[in-house]
Amino acid sequence: MQTQRDVKDRIASVKNVQKITRAMEMVAAARLRRAEQRIESLRPYAGAIRRMTRQAAQAAENIPNLPILEEHEHVRTVALHLVTGDRGLAGAFNSQILRAGLRAAADHEAEGRQVVFYASGRRGVSSLAFRGKELAGRYVGFTDRPGYADAREIAEALMSAYVDEKVDEVEIFYNGYISPLRQEVRRETLLPLQQATILEAGDEEEDDGERPEHQALVEYEPGPEEILRRLVPDYVEISVFRALLESTASEHGARMTAMRSASDNAGELIEDLTLEMNRARQAEITQEIMEVVAGAEAQA
Amino acid sequence: MARTKFPVEILSPEGEVWSGEVEMVSTRTTVGSIGLLANHEPVLAMLDPVELRLYETESDVRRFAQGEGYLQVAGNRALLLVEEAHAPEDLDAGDLRERLRRAEQELESAEEGSEAARTAARDKRRWETFIAIAEGGAS
Repeated sequence: MQTQRDVKDRIASVKNVQKITRAMEMVAAARLRRAEQRIESLRPYAGAIRRMTRQAAQAAENIPNLPILEEHEHVRTVALHLVTGDRGLAGAFNSQILRAGLRAAADHEAEGRQVVFYASGRRGVSSLAFRGKELAGRYVGFTDRPGYADAREIAEALMSAYVDEKVDEVEIFYNGYISPLRQEVRRETLLPLQQATILEAGDEEEDDGERPEHQALVEYEPGPEEILRRLVPDYVEISVFRALLESTASEHGARMTAMRSASDNAGELIEDLTLEMNRARQAEITQEIMEVVAGAEAQA
Repeated sequence: MARTKFPVEILSPEGEVWSGEVEMVSTRTTVGSIGLLANHEPVLAMLDPVELRLYETESDVRRFAQGEGYLQVAGNRALLLVEEAHAPEDLDAGDLRERLRRAEQELESAEEGSEAARTAARDKRRWETFIAIAEGGAS
């Protein structure tokens, strides 16, 4: 039988935990809002790059044969980049990426292809290292607030590996952001880049009427083909950046949800414990009365 | 003498960096330094790292450390799409030196003529330019 004191102590400690999870929930909510804004901030830039690419492609009449657009004849080695977070306590956020990545790796290996891992976020890096996987690239320390420079560093490493024929395909796994309550694991092929991706109208396309009126008279410095040579790799950088931003928003969303249910659980636990404490108190009172009555009877 | 102003917008993947009206934009394309005035002919160019200067008036100049990007002039509007642009006072010389050191290391370990070497060389040039700006040496 627990005494009143024991139960009281437990209630106090659960209340403390609840305070912490509440605070973490609030912090995550604030960071989530900022992360959502950063996804929005990327749209005008990505849209402008798309418009510029289409304009240059029109002037060049065709897209030059860039190595990142060319499929390798044999796919022997596949690079998998897993986007995770630096911190845990976010529900299934990190583990579902690792699970998807490892399953894809097993599939590739079953078909005779080698797998090279890349990872961003401490959780992914340490889990893969723990499983004995060798990492070709590890990127940590920015998942709370990824910058474009971080995305460029990752994209450059992946593109170099592809162009230098160290890998023949690159896939990226990340938590796509749908809403604060919903995130989904996305698996995308980054390289080879599909020409169709470049020329199709993106969802960030807003027709703001800023199209140049006299396209034929535009002067290109240097030629449009040279400009395309640099524009096309930007798509890979932007894709990686968007994956990092969505992953960050998803992480805060997942943490917010996880912490909310932790707070709710703590609340339920406190109710149960309070009931238990009342029962313990009642038992003690009953005990005392019995003793008094027994004592009185003995005297009579 | 005041020059005619024209609208300029600077966008980076992390959002709008600056937008407003200026008399002149001074930057560098892969072809060379360029000074843009109002009513410039339509152009599409690639930008290289440099100190970007926006002359709101002759004496009122806004400066940014500008990374690689693109310049588009159409209908008397200039749009600069840059991978990054920082106010000089926001640059951290220590951090930049660390990035420069990493780029130099990569350049050394990369095979000559490989994509990795080209990438590292580009990074190196950018960080060198930014360090010069951070230390007040206009380039």
